Amino acid sequence: MRIFWILLKKELHSFFVSPVAYVVLALVMVLNGFAFRAALSVLENAPSEGSIVSWTFHAMWFWLSYFFIFPLLTMRLFAEEKKMGTLETLFTAPVRAWQVVGSKYLASVIVYCVLWLPSLINFKFAHWISAGQVELPSGAMRGAYLILVVMGMFNLAVGCFASSLTSNQIVAAIISFTVSLMHFLLGIFIMVVGRKISDTIVDVVNYFAATEHIRIFTAGLIDSRPIIYYLSMSLLFLSFTHHVVEFRRWRP
Amino acid sequence: MIDVQELTKQYAGRTAVNNISFHVEPGEIVGFLGPNGAGKSTTMRILSGYMPATSGRVMVAGFDVFHHSIQVRQAVGYMPENAPLYTDMRVKEYLKFRAELKGLSGTTMRRRIGEVMELTGVTDMRKRLIGNLSKGYRQRVALADALVHKPKLLILDEPTNGLDPVQIRHVRDLLRNLKAKHTVLLSTHILHEVEQTCDRVIMINEGRIRANDTPANLTRQLRSTTLLHLEIEGPGNLAEKFSAINAVRKATEEDVLVHPWRRFTLRVEPDHDVRDQVMELALKEKWRIREIHRQLPTLEDVFVELSMNAGTPTDIPTHVL
Repeated sequence: MRIFWILLKKELHSFFVSPVAYVVLALVMVLNGFAFRAALSVLENAPSEGSIVSWTFHAMWFWLSYFFIFPLLTMRLFAEEKKMGTLETLFTAPVRAWQVVGSKYLASVIVYCVLWLPSLINFKFAHWISAGQVELPSGAMRGAYLILVVMGMFNLAVGCFASSLTSNQIVAAIISFTVSLMHFLLGIFIMVVGRKISDTIVDVVNYFAATEHIRIFTAGLIDSRPIIYYLSMSLLFLSFTHHVVEFRRWRP
Repeated sequence: MIDVQELTKQYAGRTAVNNISFHVEPGEIVGFLGPNGAGKSTTMRILSGYMPATSGRVMVAGFDVFHHSIQVRQAVGYMPENAPLYTDMRVKEYLKFRAELKGLSGTTMRRRIGEVMELTGVTDMRKRLIGNLSKGYRQRVALADALVHKPKLLILDEPTNGLDPVQIRHVRDLLRNLKAKHTVLLSTHILHEVEQTCDRVIMINEGRIRANDTPANLTRQLRSTTLLHLEIEGPGNLAEKFSAINAVRKATEEDVLVHPWRRFTLRVEPDHDVRDQVMELALKEKWRIREIHRQLPTLEDVFVELSMNAGTPTDIPTHVL
């Protein structure tokens, strides 16, 4: 466990010493600002059932940031070390593969969580400046941030896996981008053709669709199924990553 | 310290290391010598637990590298080829990270980091970003990293690659001083380095061990002839007279000197010294000699000979060069 913390510290260090974390943070803050503004203008024009939280996370701007975060955070995790050859130094020290995979993954999750802190400030600020007129339903708040975190954990695990497959960061980024995009497009697919196909297919696809998860969670409805889905998928992709990394030691 | 039995490593369709066996005793400095692509790095990677062997058994410090990888890695200080390092860390910071990974902590760690920085000469660079260091300094930081946990066995893959002559000498001295506490296996293709530093040389080419002996023995067993360079003044066909001496295979005149001085190269059977005979002959014939120089074969010759497919003695016409 001690080794794990040392590695985690080092990973966080390389996130925050290199410009990566700040660039992504800046990007997310800008896009979030637009998303927040879009939500405000919806509420400004007409009374609405949805809260400001739910409108913010339905904005196109939010989804735009959603696609870019994961490739940017995860592409370098393994690919860079492979390219530089430092993976060799790392794995000839007495460290185990799960410690390396786990620490890299957890570091990316921590950075990811930090990215959403400014949006929290946006909400609190709007609530404060409007003297409470902009309501922040606690269910929607909890639901939104909960689904953001578990969804992120899944996508980061996919990104981690993509990065372990290649020594080219661009390739890793494209793989992880594609998976995030497909996940999003499932919901769009239902929106477009939902009326023409059978309800069972709609239900099944909705079970995987990121847009659907965001919709119900930002409405304040906390459903355990998506949480279990994302967490188990994260675990699955992390174990894939572990196998890819450990395979080096077994390849005959 | 190292016990390698019938080690073979195949990459897709290519055999990098072919059934090699060797043994290294504690306290030895062993040089791993061979041309590029001979299988040196592959063998070292297997020894350090980075990749597995296709077949064979490898024991390091009493542990099997495959089944007890962690213990082996704890006992080994490995410096990969080209010294890969995290370029976004500072020297001292990096060494601290590596020392912690290898199980050091507290004051012991801080003292040890100070020691290895002093040993490798990077103390002045401790606050510099590794990315901004020159190749030579990066090499030294990697060496400091390999040394930091006082490993029983040091495996260094081309440790002097990219260093300037002064730094090379420094590393050589360092290795000799380490001998008391560590066993060292180093790879190189700089022959001079091996002659100067190593107790034993393992020559490897095309995945097979070609020779395994002390540097002195290797040069002695060399099949190539000894060369004798002469600068002499005398009339007539001297080459013929030199050829008459036993053990002289061939005498060649080289027309490079100003009259009346003439230059000859004699190729002499291995383990023969004909300088006395040449002197006697010159005195008898009243020739004047101003230089006799005996050129012994170096490890370089052995290397060339072994690289050019073992078995065929090289006969490079040195007088042409």
